[in-house]
Amino acid sequence: MVVKHKNIFKTEGTWSDARKLLLKLDTGSWRTERPVLDREKCNYCGLCALYCPPQCLLDRGDRYEPNLDFCKGCGICAKECPRGAFGMVPEGEFIDEG
Amino acid sequence: MKAKKGKVSVMTGNYAAANAARLCRPEVVSAYPITPQSEVAEQISAYVANGELDAEIVEVEGENSAMNVVCAASLAGARVFTATSSYGLVFMYDTLLQTAGYRAPVVMVNVNREPPGIQAVSGGQQDLISTRDSGWVQVIVENNQEIIDQIIMAYRLAEDHDIQLPVMVNYDGYYLSYLAESVEMPLIEDVDAFLAPLKSQPPRPRIIPGAATGCGTHGMEMGYVEARYKHWSALERAREKVDDIDRLFGEYFGRSYGGQIEEYRTDGADIIIVTSGSAAGTTRTVVDAKRNEGVRVGMVKIRLFRPFPEDRLTEVLKGRKAIGVVDRSLCFGWKCGPMCMEIKALTPDIGRMPILSYIDGLANLDITVPHITRVVDEVNGAAQGKPFQEVTWIPMEE
Repeated sequence: MVVKHKNIFKTEGTWSDARKLLLKLDTGSWRTERPVLDREKCNYCGLCALYCPPQCLLDRGDRYEPNLDFCKGCGICAKECPRGAFGMVPEGEFIDEG
Repeated sequence: MKAKKGKVSVMTGNYAAANAARLCRPEVVSAYPITPQSEVAEQISAYVANGELDAEIVEVEGENSAMNVVCAASLAGARVFTATSSYGLVFMYDTLLQTAGYRAPVVMVNVNREPPGIQAVSGGQQDLISTRDSGWVQVIVENNQEIIDQIIMAYRLAEDHDIQLPVMVNYDGYYLSYLAESVEMPLIEDVDAFLAPLKSQPPRPRIIPGAATGCGTHGMEMGYVEARYKHWSALERAREKVDDIDRLFGEYFGRSYGGQIEEYRTDGADIIIVTSGSAAGTTRTVVDAKRNEGVRVGMVKIRLFRPFPEDRLTEVLKGRKAIGVVDRSLCFGWKCGPMCMEIKALTPDIGRMPILSYIDGLANLDITVPHITRVVDEVNGAAQGKPFQEVTWIPMEE
């Protein structure tokens, strides 16, 4: 048997540096709606980042924004935000952006 | 270099297993007591309590947690040990699969007992068979000395950098668990020396506080396929490794068991009786008696059940006239016993011949000398062209 596959994991087990490969799954493609931030309401408290299951909220210095490559659109950030700064918007509205 | 002669004493299979585990210096042990394994868990606790073993014992509320504990401890880099049986084994089924998938080199003793279905507190290998495809290396041993020696060999195999798989050492509950036999217990410094080569291998990845490392959390798509392929390949490699370790063990301790399988008087044999575990002792006695009568019969004892010793079995079974397989378990939905099914799967390599399946020894019913004598007579008849019954439940015909 000729194996053409290039190994994803360097080790026998599925070990990886969790800072990078833990986010290697294309979870962004699972999304049906995405969080959109209202910057007026955000006070940079960080609760959304704390609760985000795949830990994909990026620290922009004055606010948090989702990394859309990995955001599954679960809506927990929107639910947890005390100021209601995130709105969940259907993906269909962004269809033009590809 | 050779090991010094160990202390010879009489002990039960369970006591022997606990003692052997102690000699391998596990750092974390978590085991939940269950008949007929309880003595193993009790003894390990006693060793830790009286200072004979420096290990962390994690008390748990059941076997599922016990396997989770030892899997996690193993991923953190510790050498671990656990023991179970029957209901315990199937209660940890999901974590059993996970431990193998994570490639955690856990060593576990499984004291064979009939699993759930009917409340059977009695011996049988059905629990092992129920976990056949769990991805573990599964070894079956025959007597108390082999329990000790195989546990030591299991660590050498599990933690080998080329293998990195959990190993399950199986022995017959009741027959061996409570049977006291004379055994030679190796000295701990000799066990240290035998396991020392593991220390010179590349270190395994492990969980370290502060370093963001992940294991097992991302098996999707090609990540999954790759991990499965590596796991499957490691099991393929394990066959030869079992032979190698058995040979090295023999050179050092003076006892060896044939590796994947043990062949007994197979030279010039027309017929072969295949079995495993404590039934092999009875079979050996019958083979000797039948050889004296002029019947050309030999025995093959399957030691390695997973990965299945396909090549070694092909080599020894090819060109014989008939085979009888004695199973201490069932294959539901298939018309012969589980090991018989696997032997039959070798047909393209060994050629067509009568392969007779025998179901015996369920629920602590003895696999007796008259039973095996009957098996030899029938298989011998089949070899000479007489009609035969493909599957026989021996106790049902008595």
